[in-house]
Amino acid sequence: MKIAVISDIHGNYAALEAVLLDIDQQKAEKIYCLGDLVGYGPFPNAVAEQIRSLDIPTVQGCWDEDIVEGLNACECSYPSLLAEKRGVIAHEWTNKHVNPEVREYLAQLPHTYKEGNLCFAHGSPHSNHEYLLPEMDAFTALERVLSSDAEILFCGHTHVPYVRTLDSGQLQVSVHQPHKKEQPTVSFNTPLKRIINVGSVGEPRHGRPNATYVIYDTETQAVNLREVEYDYKITCKAILDAGLPPIFAWRLARGLEFAEKADDPTHVCER
Amino acid sequence: MWAILSGIEGNIAAYEAVLADIKRQRIPVEALYILGDIIAANPNSEKVIKRIQNPLPGELQPQVCVGWWEEQCFALHAVGSTSEPTELIDRFGMETTKILWDSISRETVQWLRNCHFGFFELDCLLIHGSTVSASDELTPETPPWQMLDRLQRVEANSLFCGRSGQVFEYVLQRGSVNSAVMTLDRQEPTQTMTAPKRRVVGVGNVGREPGKATYTLYSPNSDCLEFKTVYYGEKKGFGN
Repeated sequence: MKIAVISDIHGNYAALEAVLLDIDQQKAEKIYCLGDLVGYGPFPNAVAEQIRSLDIPTVQGCWDEDIVEGLNACECSYPSLLAEKRGVIAHEWTNKHVNPEVREYLAQLPHTYKEGNLCFAHGSPHSNHEYLLPEMDAFTALERVLSSDAEILFCGHTHVPYVRTLDSGQLQVSVHQPHKKEQPTVSFNTPLKRIINVGSVGEPRHGRPNATYVIYDTETQAVNLREVEYDYKITCKAILDAGLPPIFAWRLARGLEFAEKADDPTHVCER
Repeated sequence: MWAILSGIEGNIAAYEAVLADIKRQRIPVEALYILGDIIAANPNSEKVIKRIQNPLPGELQPQVCVGWWEEQCFALHAVGSTSEPTELIDRFGMETTKILWDSISRETVQWLRNCHFGFFELDCLLIHGSTVSASDELTPETPPWQMLDRLQRVEANSLFCGRSGQVFEYVLQRGSVNSAVMTLDRQEPTQTMTAPKRRVVGVGNVGREPGKATYTLYSPNSDCLEFKTVYYGEKKGFGN
């Protein structure tokens, strides 16, 4: 069965429409969504209502959580005061424009969702603020998949798609406890695990303005990183018309963001 | 030589017994670390605090970091990272919560608030739970991948912790994993990553079990580790 996994729509309705059309053309039978329906973009309500109306299993992203529980990202999520200030403006704008039904919908979204050997999370199974970057230490990445008790971990949050294959994991352990017989060294092995980052529908950062998402075939296990062209200028204009920071339109038109790469991607804010 | 303790839990007799045992060591102990849970829902908690604050002449000044019970105390006094002591109530109920509230003065809460989160000395991290939280309980049964994750979060070769109350040395001898990344624009070749030898040490618990205290001696120069058991009170005389 072909499934489509989308993430980080960020209030970009035009991008969502284009991706839904592409999913239809790809003949995917089911869609999953990894959160961040709102934030940055000008159409948070339309996006959330569309996802809800299509009954798409969805997990809560960090922006969705912040709209429900109040701004929660700590300053270490931002490399500069300027980036933090823009984030706060976007949060306040979204908070003001989100309607009560959408807020209620976002509030009941789970942090992770599991189906068979697949796990769906926004950031990581530990936190929807954690960035699983492709260069993350391989053992740390493996621990994130293992902690989800799945073979494949689908995530978003970084806005750049990738597939990471973790194979032949092996650790040798010996445990010494007083008053207990000396235990022999034990070898722990892991089967093939994969992290599939599905990129971003509405705020891509891979260097082009196209929306990205993933088609996965549960039978052949083939992963197809999809890149979909759409008229991003519609969203750029709406961002400017809505009074959101113009840089959101600038970066959407280029598929670039330099300002929001956290110094420590594994930092998990507890605030 | 370092003496590393955890979990006095307001048991002043147990703490005195361990201090006496430390003084008896052939190789002098040069640093005394207490990895949290000094207090508990125990009316003698204040006595332990006073004893730690006022070492006798010739005794080491203990270096203290916060533990699970201190975190619960902070939540109870609304000075912690969480404002509700839900973890404490869920685990021990309202009666114990009330005892903890009655056992610790506001002045002591302030003193505890100034204690460290953990200590990084040489290539060792000394902490109550782990860098994830004071509640993070590492035991001999913890999956190795989780142990390695806790070590990698701080880039320590040895992690000394006390949350489980158990004494153990959990050595990750070596590890490897193959990793390959594919992006929209390229397929990177498979790389084999290896993990060096590292370990997690459970330092024991001083006060939880009446009559029996456990703690750890560690020599960073020789890398020698020794688990100590001290019997006191009625069981006294069977120390090793």
